[in-house]
Amino acid sequence: MTSEPHYDADFAEAGAEFTYFRRHCSSLDWRLMQLVFGSLALFLTLVAVGFAIAGAWLVIPFAGVEIAGLGFAAWWTAKRSGDFERLALDGDRVIVEIREQGQSRQFEFNRCWVRLVSGNAGMFALRSHGREVAIGRFCSEESRQTLARELRNRLAGHRF
Amino acid sequence: MDAAHAQSHDHSHDDHGHKPSGIMRWVKSTNHKDIGTMYLWFSFCMFLVGGVMALIIRSELFQPGLQIVRPDFFNSMTTYHGLIMVFGAIMPAFVGFANWLIPMQIGAPDMAFPRMNNLSFWLLPPAALLLIAAQFMPGGGAGVGWTMYAPLSTQAGPAMDLTIFAVHTLGISSIMGSINIITTILNMRAPGLTLMKMPLFCWTWLITAYLLVAVMPVLAGAVTMTLTDRHFGTHFFNAAGGGDPVLYQHIFWFFGHPEVYIIAIPAFGVVSQVIPAFSRKPLFGYASMVYATASIAILSFMVWAHHMYTSGMPVEAQLYFMYATALIAVPTGVKVFNWVATMWKGSLTFETPMLFSLGFLFLFTLGGFTGLVLSITPVDVQLHDTYYVVAHFHYVMVAGALFSAFAGIYFWLPKWTGKMYNETLGKWHFWLSLVFFNVTFFVQHFLGLAGMPRRIPDYALQFAEFNMISSIGAFGFGLSQLLFLYIVIKCITSGEKAPDKPWEGADSLEWTHLPTPAPWHSFETPPVIK
Repeated sequence: MTSEPHYDADFAEAGAEFTYFRRHCSSLDWRLMQLVFGSLALFLTLVAVGFAIAGAWLVIPFAGVEIAGLGFAAWWTAKRSGDFERLALDGDRVIVEIREQGQSRQFEFNRCWVRLVSGNAGMFALRSHGREVAIGRFCSEESRQTLARELRNRLAGHRF
Repeated sequence: MDAAHAQSHDHSHDDHGHKPSGIMRWVKSTNHKDIGTMYLWFSFCMFLVGGVMALIIRSELFQPGLQIVRPDFFNSMTTYHGLIMVFGAIMPAFVGFANWLIPMQIGAPDMAFPRMNNLSFWLLPPAALLLIAAQFMPGGGAGVGWTMYAPLSTQAGPAMDLTIFAVHTLGISSIMGSINIITTILNMRAPGLTLMKMPLFCWTWLITAYLLVAVMPVLAGAVTMTLTDRHFGTHFFNAAGGGDPVLYQHIFWFFGHPEVYIIAIPAFGVVSQVIPAFSRKPLFGYASMVYATASIAILSFMVWAHHMYTSGMPVEAQLYFMYATALIAVPTGVKVFNWVATMWKGSLTFETPMLFSLGFLFLFTLGGFTGLVLSITPVDVQLHDTYYVVAHFHYVMVAGALFSAFAGIYFWLPKWTGKMYNETLGKWHFWLSLVFFNVTFFVQHFLGLAGMPRRIPDYALQFAEFNMISSIGAFGFGLSQLLFLYIVIKCITSGEKAPDKPWEGADSLEWTHLPTPAPWHSFETPPVIK
C-alpha cells in the first residue's frame, strides 16, 4: 500500500527557490504485514479453539481482542504509510501538496498574500483568502519552528 | 535552503533546549528514549524488590529449622520473587532496551505508536503496586508459586485477586508493547534497511514480540478462569465441579515455556551486538542466527508439557515432549557456535560489556545443558521440584538474561548518557557477580541431586552446608548489585565525556549515524542504507 509521492510538473521545475518535503516514515511491506498478522491470527485462533475444546473457553475472548488490536494497528499503519507533505516556493506561487490516508490535496497560494499563522499544538498554517492549510505534520516541534522561521523570512523577503 | 538541505537533519541542534522538563516530561513523554529510560529504572527498582525477597528466602534457608519467617510468608516470598523478577524486572528491562534501541537501529524517529508506548509503561507501576500490596492483604501474600497452580490459587486469600489483576495489567502492557514493536520494525525501517540487514537485536525483538502476542491471551485466559472459579461459581479447574486442575497446568505452561524465550531471546540479541563489537568482526552466520532464533521460538510452542512429566501423561506424550525439548538444543547450539566463531581470530578486548557477554555465554550454555538433562523424562521425574530445577532456571534467567542485560547497559550507557562508566569498577562488578552467582547457584545442583525439594522453608540436616554456602553467595551477589547502581549513578553524574563511538567495533546505526549522547530526536529524516 506504500506509494511514492506524486510529483506534478510544477514541482519538478528545477528553478523552484525553496522546497520542503517530509513523508511519513514507512517501510511497510504490506504482504509481509499480512503474513505476520495472518499467521498470528490463525495460530491464536487454533490455540483458543483448542483450549476451548479442552474446556478453557475463556481464552477465546482474549485472543479475539488481541487479534483485533493487532489488526487495527496493522490497518492504521498501512493507511498512513503513503502520507507525505510537500511545499515549494516558486516565483509568486506557494504550492502545497498533502497526502493523508490515501487522499491527495493540492493548494496554491499567492506568495505576496499568504500569511503564516500559528495553530494548535505547536502547528502552524499557511492562510490566504479564507483558505488555510497546516504545515509540518511529520516533523518535530523544533524542526517545525526552523521551517516556520525559514518560511517567514522567505515570504517577508519576497514582499519587500 | 534547498530540498536536500531542508531534509538534512542537524543533530547538534537537537540537544539544545527544547526538551520538556520537570515531572511531566516523564508522565506525558512519548519520546522512545525517555520511555526506555523509565522502563530501565523501573526494572532496576523491581530487581531490588525481588532481590530483597530472594534474600529473605536465602536468610531463612541459611540454617535448617524455622529461623526467621513463618512458612506462609516464606511461600509468599517465593511466589512474588518469581513474579516480580520475571514480569517486573527482566521483561521490562528488555522492553527498555527495545525502546531505546529499535528506533535508533532501524533509522526511525520514534516508535510507531508513541502514545500507546507511554501507556504501556505507565501500566507497570500500578501492577507493581498491586503485587506489593498483595503482601498486606488479610492472610498475607498468596503462597501459590509464580505458576499460580490451581487448586492452590483458587483457594488462596484475597491477595490472589490482586495478583490476578496485576498479571492482567502486566499482560496488557506487554501486548501493547509488542504490537508497537512489530509495527515499528515492519513499517519504520530506513530506506534500504531490509529485514535481513537489521541488527540482530531488532530481529530478536521482532520474534519476541510475535511470541508475546501469541501467548499472552493464554495467560490472560488462565488467570481469568482462576478468578471466575474463585468468585463467580465456575469450575474450570475444580475437579469437584467437573473441572480439571491439570488443565490449568497445560494452559499456564503453554504460556510459560515461550515466556522463558521471551526473556532469553532479547538477551541473545544484546549479546549478538556486543560480541562482534569487541571481536572487531561481523557476527558470524547472521542468517543462521535469524533462522535459529525463529526456530527456537517455534519450538517453544511445542514443548510445554516437559514441565508436567510428573502430572501424569501417556508414555507416548512423554516421549514426544522429551524429543521435542531436546531438539531445542540444535538451534541453540547454532547460536553458541556462531558467537564462538565470531570471536575466533578476532581482535578481542575484554571491556565490561564483553566480560558480561562471555559470562552469559559460558553460564547460559551450562544452564542449557542442565535443561537438556531435565528434558529426559525419567531423569526429570527424579529431579522435578528439586533445587536442581531452581539452579537450572537461575543459570538461564540470571546468568543468561541478567548478565546479558548488564552487558547491554554497559555497552550502550555511553550512547544513552554521553558519559563513560568507570571501567575498573565495571570489571569488579562483573567478577563479583560471576563468583557470587556461582557460589549461590552451582551448589544448588548438588542439593537438587541429593533430593532437596524447592519451596520449603525448612530442610533435612544433610543439606545444611550447601544451603549455607548458597545463602552467603546470594548476599554477596545482592550486594554486588549495589556496586552496579553506584557505577551507573557515578557515570550519569560525574562520568568522563564519552567519544561519539567509544567501541571501535560497533557498527549499527546508533553508533555510526548518531552522535553521543543520542540526540533528543533522532532520524527525523531516515538515513539511506546501502
